[in-house]
Amino acid sequence: MTKFMKKHKSIFSAALADAMPIILAYFPIAMTFGVVATANAMPPWLTIFISICVYAGGAQFMMIPLIISGVTPLSVIITVMLVNLRHFLYGTTLGPRFSLWPEWKKWIASFGLTDEVFAVTSSKDHVEPITPSYQFLFVFSCYASWVAGTIVGVLVDRAVPTSLSGILSYALPALFIALLFIGKRTMPYLVAAAFGALCALAATWLHMGSMGIIAGTLIGATVGAVINQLWISSIHRVNHT
Amino acid sequence: MPFDALIETLVIGLGTYLLRAGSLSLGSRITWPVWLKNWLPFVTPAVLGALIGPLLFMPNGQTLSIWHNATLLAAVPTIITAWLSRHLLITVTVGIVSFAVITHSW
Repeated sequence: MTKFMKKHKSIFSAALADAMPIILAYFPIAMTFGVVATANAMPPWLTIFISICVYAGGAQFMMIPLIISGVTPLSVIITVMLVNLRHFLYGTTLGPRFSLWPEWKKWIASFGLTDEVFAVTSSKDHVEPITPSYQFLFVFSCYASWVAGTIVGVLVDRAVPTSLSGILSYALPALFIALLFIGKRTMPYLVAAAFGALCALAATWLHMGSMGIIAGTLIGATVGAVINQLWISSIHRVNHT
Repeated sequence: MPFDALIETLVIGLGTYLLRAGSLSLGSRITWPVWLKNWLPFVTPAVLGALIGPLLFMPNGQTLSIWHNATLLAAVPTIITAWLSRHLLITVTVGIVSFAVITHSW
């Protein structure tokens, strides 16, 4: 085996080894997205197209009730983009590690910068520089798993009777509950969620449902962040006395 | 629905990509203000709350319903499971099974 081949083989296996936990995690989640979306009357082609274009789990699941309830397109876009705003923290955090790369390669690799890819990439030690071929393989094998899982989910749902898909539609609220209560569940986080819920309920009651999610997001996040600051400073005060 | 949804998907896809690529490209050149970094982590729970609230308390989309509401009742075991297991798939499974049991026994 030539030296060139050996080097490429090791990059190949390293990238796949790092990607494997994400590949294994993405497939069933993407499948769930495929099943839930089609169970909620989303056309199969649109479901797959969303996974290809958006490639962000949380945002995609949120798009289902927003699209189905016929919320105005601008509200859908604003709400989902607010959720995805966190991605710019990932890019800025990782930016320095890609400083030696040609610009156009950064613009290819960054397509796959999801929460999980960011978590793995940022946790890698800083001694070895990240090479483009490693990162491309790592990122796009995760993406392939996401798209493949969605396609399988859509196909599975078409084989499911309607009575069962009515029950499966509960996967959506269950998933949101899971995401909320298995994450960081500090008091300020739960207060942010409670304010978000109250604003959305009030707006739905007043028949301004599409505004409710944006207002709930902005108000909930602000209340949560303010309470978090007060909470942190009160803990410091307690520790000092 | 399909045409609006197609436009929404394209805009969200492009916007998300520009957030990822633009921030990576800007990288080390810019530091974001501290208040924004403190605010962003609370966007996710706030959105989740705003989505969950109407789903659970107004399952028909119009009236507030607390009694005889299968969606809300099934949320109780779902929340308990999420809190105790901290596992995504277990929680979703318990949620679906609870919802199936409640709707069938009514």
